[in-house]
Amino acid sequence: MAAAFATWLGAFFIVLSEGRRGLALGLALTTIGFTVLVWIGGEQLAAGAVLLGGAVASIQRLRRGREGWGVMPPGSTSRLVLAIGAGLLALWISTSVMTGPGATLRFAVLTSLAMMGARALSDIQPAAVLTVVAALALSVAVASGMADTGPGPSPYFAAGLIALGVSAVRVSGSDGA
Amino acid sequence: MAPELAIGLPAAGSLCAAALRARPKAAFATAAVLGLGGVAAMTLSIPGRASAQLGISLAMSAESRSLLIAAAAALALVVALAPVLVERATLLAWGLAGLAGMAAIAAAPSLDLIILVVLALAVLQAASAGSRPFATRLRGPVFAVVVLALAAASARGDGPPILSRLAAVGLVAGLSAALGTMPYIHRFEPEERTATSPIPWMGFIGPVLALAVLARARDLVPSEGAVFGALMIGLGLLNMLWGSLASWRTEGGASAWHYSFMADWGLALCGLGLAVVDGQRAALLVLYGILLSRLPLYLWSRQSLREKRPNDRPINLLAAAMLAGSAPFAGFAARVLLLRGATQVYWPLALVIGLGLLLWLAPSLRLGRSLGLPRGRQAWGVGVALTLNVVIGLYPQPFLLLAGL
Repeated sequence: MAAAFATWLGAFFIVLSEGRRGLALGLALTTIGFTVLVWIGGEQLAAGAVLLGGAVASIQRLRRGREGWGVMPPGSTSRLVLAIGAGLLALWISTSVMTGPGATLRFAVLTSLAMMGARALSDIQPAAVLTVVAALALSVAVASGMADTGPGPSPYFAAGLIALGVSAVRVSGSDGA
Repeated sequence: MAPELAIGLPAAGSLCAAALRARPKAAFATAAVLGLGGVAAMTLSIPGRASAQLGISLAMSAESRSLLIAAAAALALVVALAPVLVERATLLAWGLAGLAGMAAIAAAPSLDLIILVVLALAVLQAASAGSRPFATRLRGPVFAVVVLALAAASARGDGPPILSRLAAVGLVAGLSAALGTMPYIHRFEPEERTATSPIPWMGFIGPVLALAVLARARDLVPSEGAVFGALMIGLGLLNMLWGSLASWRTEGGASAWHYSFMADWGLALCGLGLAVVDGQRAALLVLYGILLSRLPLYLWSRQSLREKRPNDRPINLLAAAMLAGSAPFAGFAARVLLLRGATQVYWPLALVIGLGLLLWLAPSLRLGRSLGLPRGRQAWGVGVALTLNVVIGLYPQPFLLLAGL
């Protein structure tokens, strides 16, 4: 449960942050949460791929983007409501609407996917978009673990590679154009 | 080993072209050789046979393979007969990157991997220089990724039947968002380079992506076939109507082309939504038409659009006839098959589609005129595109057999 909560907290920071430290912290928390969930699911190699991709992307995020934490800048009330609302909705769906084992994985995946999607649709700077993409890639890979038949390590490796690749992207121009 | 090579060789070609950018001739030659190798691997791959050389089971369906070959042919056509101002090595690098991504999408064993490939392609496209802001270019594909992933998660969760219905809605909505059709139209800048614009999603990557997503989606929620069909047909009719009217009435010539892709996608979505073989055949012919004719003609119309030199020569009328789907072009065969399929399913639907087909006339005349007076390589290109389209229209069977239909 702590891992799922860490994932939500990471997504919370990504949604609410504009500065590089806030974004890096959010991505790191999301990575840790997903790594633990994948490890518990018995995919140790896949967990390693998630950890490696997410960790490198988090460290790289610390090096680029707006200075400082930038958590909850003015005008972020709607995002705060979104982050809390998405968490509650995901909690309800994963525990009450959906049944069967794996509620923590479902909560982590649903909350992360929904919050990253909402963040990408808002007015957003390139560093935050790239963080969203890295977290989204990891979320998609971890979501594949919800299948009855194990997806194998390939989605996790692909997601790790995307997170690594995204951390190397240089966006040219003032706004990325 | 063929699927791996079909992905790896074009990707290597694209990377080589990018790395050797300072030496365009060497870049072009290297990329062309590797690209041809990739196309050979695609052509020689046996549909449905899985290969697991890299520890992941990769297999291509016959339909996806046929569209990949068509996409490769379209790329070869536009690179060989590229407009004078376009650098061939750059065009080839972008095209091969797209082709590698399409091969990966076609061969991916699960929807999750397809989603991840789409995300990677979106970042690659958005990271290059373009006139739209970085976040704007990623918005559509990222939204598509989120919706598709949420839909897949809903499909996999145990719970009430409404979950699988929501999953079906999400899968169709996500696909529509990835393609950039109604109601998720990607923001379009007329002056933007084609490679970084939304056009590749509709006109190059889209056909393979649609077939791959729909195939995996039907496996994910097998009980919701009727919901899928209804949604696809509804979206198809909406795109037919909106795309053709907007293509006719919009002010910008490039925007008119953008909307015309949307209108064609309307036909393809209707065909894919009909659960009969004729519908699938119609959709496939429309997708061949998008890849081999509409996309190349759009590229060759760009210079004339910039110079605002519309023309009414016979070649323009022929191009208009092809874009409108008149006989003997491929669009005509596709429309006949679509109407036949719709009649089998529910005849009033055929009536609605038949009336909708009339909407193609006015915008196609406009688009044909926008080609200007093709000269040199552009004239050859238009001639080849028209000839290919006539061949598919007159002899569709070999092309359908290639796709296993």
